[in-house]
Amino acid sequence: MEEIVFGIGITALAGALATVAGAAEDTESDIGSQGDPNSQVQLAPQMGYIHRIFNKAIAGEPPAYGLWVALGAGLAWAFMAMQINPILAIVLGSALAVFVQGVYATTAYLGRTASLAKFGQPVYIDILKSMTTVTMAHAFVAIFTTVAMCHLMIAALGHPFPLPLLGLVWGIALGAAGSATGNPFYGKERQYQEQKFGAGVPISASGNIVRYAEAGQRNSLDNGFFSAKLGGPASGICFGLIVFFELWRTVVFEELNVWGPIIVGIIVILVFAIIDRYIEVWARKNFGPYTAPEEASS
Amino acid sequence: MSALGGPAQTGGVQPPTAMGLVISIVLIVVALALAFFLVQMAGVIALAGIIIGGVLIAFGVHFVPVGGAPAAMGQAPGIATGVAMLAAGAGLAGLFGGAWAAPFGLVIALAGGAIGGGLLMAITCTMVNVIYIFGMGIPSASGKVDKDPITGDTFPEYKSQGTEGHGLPFISWVGGVVGGALGGLGGTLIYLELLDIYQAQLPVILDVTVEQIASVAVSLAGIFAVGMFLMNAVLAAYNITGTIEGPHDPKFKRFPRAVIAAAAASAVAGIFAIALLELVGVF
Repeated sequence: MEEIVFGIGITALAGALATVAGAAEDTESDIGSQGDPNSQVQLAPQMGYIHRIFNKAIAGEPPAYGLWVALGAGLAWAFMAMQINPILAIVLGSALAVFVQGVYATTAYLGRTASLAKFGQPVYIDILKSMTTVTMAHAFVAIFTTVAMCHLMIAALGHPFPLPLLGLVWGIALGAAGSATGNPFYGKERQYQEQKFGAGVPISASGNIVRYAEAGQRNSLDNGFFSAKLGGPASGICFGLIVFFELWRTVVFEELNVWGPIIVGIIVILVFAIIDRYIEVWARKNFGPYTAPEEASS
Repeated sequence: MSALGGPAQTGGVQPPTAMGLVISIVLIVVALALAFFLVQMAGVIALAGIIIGGVLIAFGVHFVPVGGAPAAMGQAPGIATGVAMLAAGAGLAGLFGGAWAAPFGLVIALAGGAIGGGLLMAITCTMVNVIYIFGMGIPSASGKVDKDPITGDTFPEYKSQGTEGHGLPFISWVGGVVGGALGGLGGTLIYLELLDIYQAQLPVILDVTVEQIASVAVSLAGIFAVGMFLMNAVLAAYNITGTIEGPHDPKFKRFPRAVIAAAAASAVAGIFAIALLELVGVF
């Protein structure tokens, strides 16, 4: 029983760390335009819209975070093997991984933006100086919390994978959850803030991203401020729920019966199916159709 | 004609060529023969498991609704990320659960892996709809079918002007969960087959106990499982070319080609993973 209570505590802590990781990951990727909306940031100058948005999308979020978290976890693992305190080892490993992220962000911004020179898009050095460190800070939070979560899974819950491999697995899952949940909010609600609310961006508007802020030109720090309000926390909840339920069903129900985690997993999936269907129907009822059904079918 | 202005999506069946089929079968037979030569019957069984795992992954990826960049602007339905990436996220979360349940036997570990992958997709797909509905005020609408095959909801009137649809209709949600579960199942199967073979062979070759070799066997099997997962997911993504809405999308019918390619690729990669033992023996 004590083991189960201990396991539940670790599960809650891992879920909380994952929530912070998801929120930081999405905000970091939005500041760097690393998710799918990067296509619009890259397209805008080609359509004549010169902007001051950071763009470091030379890899998708999942492989990029797979690299950084595996790197942080691998270095932390090496430091722990050198008998360094685990918390210090994780901090050091994450800090070194963040330097790789910083080099990646710098070269990616310079490369991507320089490729737009023939469309008149300048490389802004002040953008490079001010944005890179902000993405690095957010990346540190995401990497540190994910590596710490992986360490808990091994040290406290006894998962068989070594730390670097677990870092790769959860780094990719973190990027997948963050990009899936956070990208539409950044892409539609922020980059196309001038378009109508409650409708998709018409394809004809592609590239016409919002480039001006309350005062002066908009930059990626403004975008981070915006997506930290909903896209980031929602990504955090998404990744936190994934980690929490994945651990909870095993930690609590494995003791009762070996089939317990599987049955509980199926029940949780069915509960999410009901929630999804409920909000889908709720949206159809409350928002209503864009056109009358008979017009649409004609 | 696609509303995105691209060429009309052929969508329909693109059967594999006879040449591709023959080469794939030859590769698989050669790999199986090599596996028998290296580790006898255990090698053949392990390689067959790896091939089935690879096929499950490639087939599963076709179920996952991925909208890419247009989905991030609410211009097309699906999840706003890449096909291979999302499938990898789900499948590897499944592998995490499957590896954890490995001591309880093959069936429970495989079920654990499948549910792990399905759970990640269930939560992710639900959160995608939460963001679309409560963050952006946009209802779900498919661009490929007029009616949801499961719920019967109609879509044309819920598509906003100038878009191909948006959000995740319920059929796409179900497709995502099925795809994640198949990915988790396939990834776990590859992991367990490799783990079995490493745990049986490494102690003999290196003349050590099973306990001493356990962490090396787990690490090697895990890394190969992740690698083969990514390989099969990327193969399937090339077959899909861009975006797919799920099992109701006409592109879904392209899966036979990916399944054959995944079987051949898994056989070749699998034989390298098994032959690694011989290399360890040499050194």
